Amino acid sequence: MRVAREWLHRLAGTLLRRRCDTDLEEELRLHLEMATEDARSRGREPADAVRAAQVKAGAASQAMDALRDQRGLPWLDDLARDVSHGLRSLWRTPVFTTVALLTLALGIGANTAIFSIVNGVILRPLDYPKPAQLMLVTTEFPELGLTRNPLSVQEYLEFRQINQSFAAVGAYRTTGGAYTTGEVNLTAGGGPLRVRSISVDAGLLSTLGVQPALGRLFTAEETSRVGGLAPPLAIISYELWRAVFGGQPLVGQTVDVDGRLHEILGIMPSGVDVMDNHTAIWLPLGLPAAIRQNRSFHILHVVGRLKDGVTPQAAQTELNALVENWGERTVSSGHVPTNRPTRAADHTLRIEPVQDAVVGDARRSIWMLQVAVGFVLLIACANLANLLMARAESRRREFAVRAALGASRSRLLRQTMTEGVMLCVAGGMLGLWLARVAVHALIRAYPTSVPRMSEIGIDLSVLLFALGVSIATGVLFGLAPLAQGRMNDLVTAFKEGGDRGASGAGRHYVRRTLVVVEVALAVMLVIGAGLLIRTVYNLTSVDAGFDRSRLVTFSMTLPEPYEPDTRAPAYQRLLDKLRAAPGVLGAAAMSGLPPNRSPEAIPTRIENYTASDGSAVEIVDYYQFVMGDYFETMGVPIVAGRSFEPADAASPGRGVVVNETLAKRVWKGRDPIGQRVRPNLSAAIGFGDDSWHTVIGVAKDVKQGGVGKQTGTELYVSLDQLAMAAPAMNVVLRTSLPPAALSRTLERLVREVDPAVPIVRLRDMESVFAESIRRPRLLAQLLGAFAGLALLLAAVGTYGVLSSMAAERQREIGIRIALGADRSSVLALVVKQGLQLTIIGVVVGLAGALGLNRLIASVLFGVQPTDPTTLAAVVMTITLVAAGACWLPAWRASRLDPNVALKAD
Amino acid sequence: MSNRTTAKADVLQGTLDLMVLQTLNSLGPLHGYAIAARLEQVSRGALQLNMGTLYPALMRLEQRGLLRGNWGTTETNRKARFYAATSAGRRQLAREKDAWDRMAGIIHTVLHGEV
Repeated sequence: MRVAREWLHRLAGTLLRRRCDTDLEEELRLHLEMATEDARSRGREPADAVRAAQVKAGAASQAMDALRDQRGLPWLDDLARDVSHGLRSLWRTPVFTTVALLTLALGIGANTAIFSIVNGVILRPLDYPKPAQLMLVTTEFPELGLTRNPLSVQEYLEFRQINQSFAAVGAYRTTGGAYTTGEVNLTAGGGPLRVRSISVDAGLLSTLGVQPALGRLFTAEETSRVGGLAPPLAIISYELWRAVFGGQPLVGQTVDVDGRLHEILGIMPSGVDVMDNHTAIWLPLGLPAAIRQNRSFHILHVVGRLKDGVTPQAAQTELNALVENWGERTVSSGHVPTNRPTRAADHTLRIEPVQDAVVGDARRSIWMLQVAVGFVLLIACANLANLLMARAESRRREFAVRAALGASRSRLLRQTMTEGVMLCVAGGMLGLWLARVAVHALIRAYPTSVPRMSEIGIDLSVLLFALGVSIATGVLFGLAPLAQGRMNDLVTAFKEGGDRGASGAGRHYVRRTLVVVEVALAVMLVIGAGLLIRTVYNLTSVDAGFDRSRLVTFSMTLPEPYEPDTRAPAYQRLLDKLRAAPGVLGAAAMSGLPPNRSPEAIPTRIENYTASDGSAVEIVDYYQFVMGDYFETMGVPIVAGRSFEPADAASPGRGVVVNETLAKRVWKGRDPIGQRVRPNLSAAIGFGDDSWHTVIGVAKDVKQGGVGKQTGTELYVSLDQLAMAAPAMNVVLRTSLPPAALSRTLERLVREVDPAVPIVRLRDMESVFAESIRRPRLLAQLLGAFAGLALLLAAVGTYGVLSSMAAERQREIGIRIALGADRSSVLALVVKQGLQLTIIGVVVGLAGALGLNRLIASVLFGVQPTDPTTLAAVVMTITLVAAGACWLPAWRASRLDPNVALKAD
Repeated sequence: MSNRTTAKADVLQGTLDLMVLQTLNSLGPLHGYAIAARLEQVSRGALQLNMGTLYPALMRLEQRGLLRGNWGTTETNRKARFYAATSAGRRQLAREKDAWDRMAGIIHTVLHGEV
């Protein structure tokens, strides 16, 4: 601190009060004059006096030199000299410079790219005022293993009332069974569009602290109507306003949303969103009376803003205390939160920072990538250190000469460091450019793989990071040659005729260590990549329960003024038309599209049944409402009983199909066929009476909530029997044609049914699956790329070190050959030397990988971090690559002509 | 920082600064030659400063804001650059003097005291 202030002072004093040469010379001249006069006044002869004064005061020229040194910042001059010297010497060795620059640009570029993701997704606070105060309030069902679940309306209202920790609380809703889908049809200009929607109450907007860019937000009255539909009002996102409405004045006008004219109240500022929902349109929250009163409908996502000074821990403590006697506090009973969950429906309340909830599971993967690219950079550093050391070897004479001419050791050290930092800054700039390109490409290729994708970019902190990494890299590999400690070893350098002498083994110690480190880091990366690749392979080969080949799906919504009973014939007409279309073998519709659904957890009455909690209600994870010959079209095998048949619609009794897991859980080995259940239709889909249904069949388990997750319990209900349909359905076609070839026909057929309805997400089921595992796939691809890079760099490094080690043993090898050693034993000698290093590296790397187990375990599926097959494959790959890298220098050494080798000096 | 100063100058540096500041503090603004003459006189000829030592020191002190130098004229109507201690310089002097006294006391005790 003091040193820094001293420097600032000196810098300011130097720059502000800089005196010119003539000024200084004048002062010295006057000093001499006075000294001469003084001497004369003491009785000296004039000529003698001048000499005496000069002897006493010293030479003006020397004083001037000292003054100039003091005046300038000597290190600045030295730096300028170092830089120009460095530039010249780098220019003279273009191959070295190019290789070093490329290595650096790749290493720094990859690091900067990943850091820009770390920064944009994890580090940068959310774009709300005081974002650290925002907490997501969720319910947790420990018995069902559900986390981050929404609250019931009553819970939300009670929580808002009784808590003391939060300054404001609000709620929103995006999905809730098939009743709302988080999307609406928007008719504007060109035709029907389907856009992401969110239903919010006024409390949410004030909790978040958002202000509209234009117009106004909802009032509390507009978002708290009980019963009926929400008022036809809407706020649209800035992005939608620009893209669809061209930024034209819109506030106060009406727009067709789901068949109703909505008044546009306002436009949100650019980038405003909730929980990474990609919201395009904001609607007022409307809650039908049935949903509002029923405590078992968990449909509201709740966000609270902590009061100033209240910590999340304190708020959670308060919440726990509230949950302790929630029933008494709120005069409510039944499905209330509890701290001691014993039954399936028992749940507790939890808060977590909104930012953590947004980033969620992605955090670990992103940090993992950062560690991986960090390794790549370390390998790059090791390689460059190697290169620099080889270069230092060849420059020992130059340094020795300069040292002999008076350059101090620290001066020479600074010279190599300057070159290192220069390389790094240039490499860093190249890397920054690479990172920009890579991040753009990544965002374009995987727009939804990472939360907060739109916030990823190169900002000041990323720039600082890149600069910091560049300089640290430069210092790191610039220092390495010094570890050899030979720089000022003048005598040795002059005496040793060249670099072909029998050099001491000690000098190679550093370079050998670098090879070991490179190999070890590469081993860890390749193991990580191998495990991830296995994971992706396992995920793609999971039996999802249906035949997903030649299956095409799309989604559509028939909004108001359709009623459930007018929708059914419309969907029916469409399915009939589709079945008649060329190339279509079968057509059906379903409410939820596997394998990406979130569990609905609907309490369902089951006849003659006592659940683990003593009630006659089983929480069913998924309801699937289906139309047409669903099981045949999807290729879901019926393992017992039968599937739905057209004749069912006419018969008075209603049937349901259950999946194997539900059958096992409820009837435990007894025959489920003929048992009765009472599907909670109003909770699941918002219409229909809750009458008794008979189980007519058991379907094979279908992965609804993710291929890597456990299969939940599932109930199939036939909409054909109910003669009603949900607003949004997923149509599925068994067809030999690809989606692109079908799109024209599909659009025409849908238009024939309703011209205002858009087709969305038309794709084949394979892509739906690929999409569902996009994150592990992306992780595997990136990690694979980094591992490949690491492998390449490590191979180059091993090759480089081994070549120069072999070159330095040239004389020895020459003698061996001259004395009759055969070529293959020379080959073996050098290869052995390299493989020894590799094996040490592999062992160290395996140990390191074991240490990093915990980091990777949670992103793996169906493979252990210590999977012996993967480890063996990795060890083999590395050894093969290393053998390749060793073989070339060894082969060259074995081809040595002893005559040439021995005469070289 | 500058690596040109010799080992001898390094030893002198701190004490030279202290002596220059003390001289200016007690006598008021002086030009370089007067400072050298005064130090020689006070030290009874033991301290002979050549220009190569004195003027860089003055410049250093000025760069640190401890001195301020201005051109003026002497009583004999000669042009000269006069140096005066700034308030920062006086504060620094007081601090350094204390430190020096303490140090000198310690050294004296160590060398002559009964250990």
